[in-house]
Amino acid sequence: MPTTRNQSNEVLETDFFKTFDAPNNIQQLLKNSCYDCHSNSTNYPWYNNIQPVSWFLENHIKKGKKELNFSEFGGYSKRRQKSKLKFIKSQIEKNEMPLSSYTFIHRDAKLSKIQKGILLNWMTKLRDSL
Amino acid sequence: MKNSIYAVAFGMLFLTACKNDPKQAESNEMNTHEMQMGTDENHDHSSMGATTMQAGKTMGATAQKSGLTSAIIDGYLEIKNALVKEDSKKAAEGGKMMLMAFSNFDMSKLTESQHTKYMEIAESAKENAVHISKNPLEHQREHFEFLSKDINDMIALVGTDKTLYQDFCPMAGNNNGAMWLSESKEINNPYLGSKMMKCGSIQKQIN
Repeated sequence: MPTTRNQSNEVLETDFFKTFDAPNNIQQLLKNSCYDCHSNSTNYPWYNNIQPVSWFLENHIKKGKKELNFSEFGGYSKRRQKSKLKFIKSQIEKNEMPLSSYTFIHRDAKLSKIQKGILLNWMTKLRDSL
Repeated sequence: MKNSIYAVAFGMLFLTACKNDPKQAESNEMNTHEMQMGTDENHDHSSMGATTMQAGKTMGATAQKSGLTSAIIDGYLEIKNALVKEDSKKAAEGGKMMLMAFSNFDMSKLTESQHTKYMEIAESAKENAVHISKNPLEHQREHFEFLSKDINDMIALVGTDKTLYQDFCPMAGNNNGAMWLSESKEINNPYLGSKMMKCGSIQKQIN
């Protein structure tokens, strides 16, 4: 069964990084570790063409985007933005995100302790500023 | 004699001014006889002042009287009471109950100015309710924190005919503090449960 590709070259006005100013390292961390499932632009691996991998991936992406979509973040209400920021922080702190099944394959997406610290620190400041 | 009549009249005025309850005013008038008997006015004044002050501490907003939000609040309280008992399954049921209440909510009863704000709050509350309906206890509690803010804002916007208490525990939410709404004066902590059941205090009474 063909699956639709979650790919878009267009960077929406509502994209997280068009909405908030962020230093390059933060952008890299989020894009690298989160954007595949939580944005409109997935970097599909070569094995995506193999089933049931394809189905698994699409499922993750569908669920991920429903929960949080960085491409549309700017369009969320402030209430929702604050809430999401808190949960992003919480999920990363608890090692629930990025998914271990994802980082198992995408080693570079795994967040080190230092990277987590930097990211969470920045997110906390952002949330407080909203 | 004249002086004491003036004193009594003044006392009565004071009494009726402080207590808004008409029944109380009535009984005050009936008590003038006792007052004439030489009750120390100053003593009455200060004891009454203390009572008013105590009531003032928990006195709060009078929300608009509206039954529109009843089912939603019922769902919220189900979740709250389940979290107090640390019953994750029951909390999940409360989440579903709340979602149903939202789907039954009659938006046509809202004014135009309430519409947009209601939708913003509802969107968030529903998302929190969904998470509560399918997650373990601690995650439910995290979402309950945001849900409580949502419902509190909803009540401020649309109103309620229920008497509710706004409670706050400074240790909840990772020591950042968190609030919740309760139908009873008794403090039972939904965030900490048996770990620290009585942690918290009433900040405000609604209705």
